[in-house]
Amino acid sequence: MEMFSYLLATGISTGALYALVALGIVVIYKATEVVNFAHGEMFMLGGFLAYTFHVMLGWPYVLSLILAVLAAFGLGILVDRIAFRPLMQRQSLVSVLLAMVGLSFVLKGVARHLWGGKGDYIPFPPLVSPEPIMFGGIMVMSQQLVVLGAAAVVMIVFALFFKLTRAGRFMQATADNPKAAKLVGLRIDRVYMYTFGVGSAVAAAAAVLMAPLTLLYPDIGFMLFIKGFAAAVLGGLTSIVGAVVGGFLIGIIEQLSAGYIHTSMQEVAAFIVIMVVMVLIPTGLFGRRGMRRV
Amino acid sequence: MRGTRHVLAAALASALAVGTYSGSVTAQGEQTQGISDTEIHIGAFGPFAGPVYLYGKLVMNGVEAVFDKANADGGVHGRKLVLVREDDNCKPEGSIAAVKKLAYDEKVFAIIGGACSNATLAAVPELEKAGIPMVINSAVADAITDPPKPNIFSTQLTSSIESRAQLNYALDQGAKKIALVRMTDAWAMARYNPLIEYAKEKGIEFVADVELQIDAPDATPQALKLKASGADAIVMVLYAKPGAVMIRDALKIGYNPIWVGQTAINDFAAFEKQVGIPDALKNFATISAVAFQPTDPEMKPWTDRLKSLFPNDELSTFNMNGIGSAQVLVEALKRAGKDLTRDKLLAALGSIKDFQTDVYAGSITCDAPRSHQCNQNPGWLALRDGKIVRIK
Repeated sequence: MEMFSYLLATGISTGALYALVALGIVVIYKATEVVNFAHGEMFMLGGFLAYTFHVMLGWPYVLSLILAVLAAFGLGILVDRIAFRPLMQRQSLVSVLLAMVGLSFVLKGVARHLWGGKGDYIPFPPLVSPEPIMFGGIMVMSQQLVVLGAAAVVMIVFALFFKLTRAGRFMQATADNPKAAKLVGLRIDRVYMYTFGVGSAVAAAAAVLMAPLTLLYPDIGFMLFIKGFAAAVLGGLTSIVGAVVGGFLIGIIEQLSAGYIHTSMQEVAAFIVIMVVMVLIPTGLFGRRGMRRV
Repeated sequence: MRGTRHVLAAALASALAVGTYSGSVTAQGEQTQGISDTEIHIGAFGPFAGPVYLYGKLVMNGVEAVFDKANADGGVHGRKLVLVREDDNCKPEGSIAAVKKLAYDEKVFAIIGGACSNATLAAVPELEKAGIPMVINSAVADAITDPPKPNIFSTQLTSSIESRAQLNYALDQGAKKIALVRMTDAWAMARYNPLIEYAKEKGIEFVADVELQIDAPDATPQALKLKASGADAIVMVLYAKPGAVMIRDALKIGYNPIWVGQTAINDFAAFEKQVGIPDALKNFATISAVAFQPTDPEMKPWTDRLKSLFPNDELSTFNMNGIGSAQVLVEALKRAGKDLTRDKLLAALGSIKDFQTDVYAGSITCDAPRSHQCNQNPGWLALRDGKIVRIK
């Protein structure tokens, strides 16, 4: 029972990370119907920006977090302007996807150039004590609780954003039918731009929270993107709730399969989930029914 | 269609002819290729990007620092050293192409480098064919230098040397139950196989053998399995990142056996920060090819020189491996004399004995022709009274 408790608790905290990454992927996909393959690199850059502000320049943690999120927001807008908008204007979805893949490599290269000489895996100071603490009868890392709490806040904010705000509704309307949205006067270019900004900002917030646990290195983005993408697919790619549930499920599945089947399952569980979901429930657990372009 | 086939066949025949010609010319001996009155061109190959760029780009930066110092001191017998870098992407096809380019297009005199074991291993036949002197400074696979090849020397500890040392360390500490946590990539397998063989020789059976991937954000399942096995020592075949996650999550469940690392975790001070929990490493010891930590005062001159050449770099153990290997090469070039030839360089490399570099844990002895594995001295680092010290 102790083993199950540890695996479940760790699965939930790791799942919160995956959920945050999935959230960014879903936010962009919901509005643009494009999977941002450079999303993991946005996460990575957000972490390195916070590292630069907090560790290299010695600025306070909260200020560094805010600045990293703002910078990532700006970077997201830049991505929209240079990689997304010009190609979408030519109605070339495949080109957009390839541009995103290319962008991920470019961002990795930039990170290696700027921070690659600082060491192999760069530690980031935790917000709370690094010592494990007793919680609900088992030991957990206090930073994991911070991630869990912060992830919950971010998820709720986003759910409310899409449900209650005009901007959120514009994004949803644009995602549902861009032509109709344009006809009723929505400036969909602007919606896309802010969507990329918001998605990148979420990635940066997740990175700052998780960096003390995952460490920072230029290639961290790909693994997290894959896990986040698996979570998003499991949840249905268009559902905020789905991204959250998918993230937690992937985290828990990984832990339980590694604990009870074989440790090698930790790496492949997410891929197996993607395959099974695509075959059995192509729309995911909370996805919209009906055929849509992907 | 037939015409196309003929054209293709002719092109293929021409390509083969050129390849054979290039190889035969080199095999006959371009003894002074890459040397002028003022310069010696030395090649280097390894990854510039990707997850293991540290073993390529950063090691090369260390080599460049040594060349820079040698040049500032007047060069080697008056000749400046010029490093010509090639990216092999850490892939076999990349390293073969890199060696061909360096040997036949860039026409370098010798090569220093070889970051990834599989990639370097794939390039060995091409290196032998070209007859170009090669100093390996990062790749650890034994097969690169065992059996010895006349023109290939290694200044890096090999995987079997380290694996044996890891198991011996655990036994020396009185461990009764020994377990293993490992990655599964080519780097890890090059260590895992000799480790299993040596354990068999010693009549030891690992009580647990668990896998942990390089990018895993968590190692709780592995920690639970290791704890359940009752192991009192864990041999780690891991990079620093999964190593830090492993120890952190074992501590989380109150498990802190003897942890035995290897040279992928040889920056002890950085590893302490990566684990991030005070006193977490009190039972941890690791092999280090280098004698110092990057922050040690003895490394200050190299830190300054590296910084002047690469302002974004902080001195790392990767740079230090480059420094050590380049010092061996520069020493051999000096010993080979002013009338430099490849044969003279190989003879000089083969005769190096008890040579002390600024960085390696032990002296360098190339016992040619018996052995071209010139670094046989794993150093050990551990925490004693909160300080990082060399042990054994």
